[in-house]
Amino acid sequence: MATEIKGRFVDGLVNSKAGQVSREIFVNDEIYAQEQEQVFTRSWLYIGHESQVSKPGDYFVSCMGEESVILCRDRDSKLHVFLNSCMHRGMKVCRYDEGNTPVFTCPYHGWSYAADGKLVGVPFFKDSYHELLDKSKWGLVEVAQLATYRGSIWATWEPTAPPFIEYLGDFKMFYDLSLEAWNGTDEPLEVLGGVQKWIIPCNWKFPAENFSGDSYHNISHRSVDMVGIGPSGTGRRDMAERTYSRRLQVAFPERGHQSGVYVLPGNAPTAPSYQQSPAVAEYFREAEEKRRDSKGEWGRVTGSPGLIFPNAALHPRQPRSIAVLHPRGAHQTEMWRWYFVDAGAPYEVKNFLRQYYIRYSGPSGLTEQDDMENWNYAHAASRGAIARRHPYSYEQGLGFEQTNYEYEGLKFPGQVMDLGDARSSEQNLRNFYKRWAEFMEAPSWDELASWR
Amino acid sequence: MNEVVNLMLLDPGANIMVRNGATAEVISNPKDGVWVVVKYLSSPGDPTLEGTEDMVFAQDVVRVLETQ
Repeated sequence: MATEIKGRFVDGLVNSKAGQVSREIFVNDEIYAQEQEQVFTRSWLYIGHESQVSKPGDYFVSCMGEESVILCRDRDSKLHVFLNSCMHRGMKVCRYDEGNTPVFTCPYHGWSYAADGKLVGVPFFKDSYHELLDKSKWGLVEVAQLATYRGSIWATWEPTAPPFIEYLGDFKMFYDLSLEAWNGTDEPLEVLGGVQKWIIPCNWKFPAENFSGDSYHNISHRSVDMVGIGPSGTGRRDMAERTYSRRLQVAFPERGHQSGVYVLPGNAPTAPSYQQSPAVAEYFREAEEKRRDSKGEWGRVTGSPGLIFPNAALHPRQPRSIAVLHPRGAHQTEMWRWYFVDAGAPYEVKNFLRQYYIRYSGPSGLTEQDDMENWNYAHAASRGAIARRHPYSYEQGLGFEQTNYEYEGLKFPGQVMDLGDARSSEQNLRNFYKRWAEFMEAPSWDELASWR
Repeated sequence: MNEVVNLMLLDPGANIMVRNGATAEVISNPKDGVWVVVKYLSSPGDPTLEGTEDMVFAQDVVRVLETQ
């Protein structure tokens, strides 16, 4: 298979040099089937947050690509991620979203599994199986690797994939902007409310490229800015600090991760935010000042949308959220969005954020609705025979990327686009598709781990 | 025909008769409607089971016994 597809994606359907991407990779069912194998069985995928499974027996049903998986904590408090499929005849062994249980029992024939995945109950084991079935061989299918990082839980089916921290590489410091407490410390976060889940009629790569750091589509959100859903009553978010920050895009070509960031000047004051509630405003003012103190010079860097390849979308600041873009066929995406809040924040802060977050993001969020409208109709208008002949353009800023970038004493890893004068770039989007194409062709992690 | 026992209603401490004539005390119930975890009180057919713990399948639960 690898030899047959060599050149089809890298410098083919994904032409990084020209900055063009074929519409086929969004609408072609055969390519979709290939990416389930090539991308989703070999990448690290976001599963959930430790606060969702804090006690033995706690479980949360998540997804890896198209496949349902169970995240659970066993009696010894060890975390596991299992394929949610009975080994006897494939029925889902867990059909709830979350809960606490000592066993997962298949409702079809009754096979039952402990929270460590072991098969513990087989109906008629003595009479019908004559105790000859080797139960130790029929436990739930478990992921090859599981990792926890600052409360987030990740897994991969691929035993030869690099460990998660190596998979992140130097992107780790930008992922941290989504995981640290608002004051920059390791104080715990918790999931705010439940996980929002909804279906969008578009290929999963539309939201993936958007959250990679599409800096060009601000016009889509102009109506939301005019309505003023932001936490200070204007715009869709607090913009004060951004107006005097340096805006960058940071991409990691060998990894496929990328993000936008803002860098405050060294002497910049803490900008007022969350002005609709004095108590919330004070909470964030204190947290921001502590953050600047505790993180030193890097405390001047604040987050903006980013993506951990392939489908974990980061939204580190307003709202603080991680979304996973689950593929549901070439023409549908199921989006799951987790919102995060400092676990120790007062109720008034949590409640204020809950209301702000859901009017910004998710199915009820006005900003997300703007985006979904674009993805929906872009996908629909790209399926036809004529449309497929014409690639999308990703040429913006091509050739203007910088390495060894430095801004006011801060040396940035990765490949950087300075949007100070350029205003916008499609570097991060190109980076996402370049990595996607490599995954589609590479026969193993020997080729994918090119940094080794 | 035996009455179908609703396993969801069996709390720890309940005594049951199982298919092979053994009696057992429910020690935990995962409330999946399919299994209960028991400790055997008596087992005429296989006395070695007495005092041991086991998972009992719903179709093997014959009836609920009155608890003393």
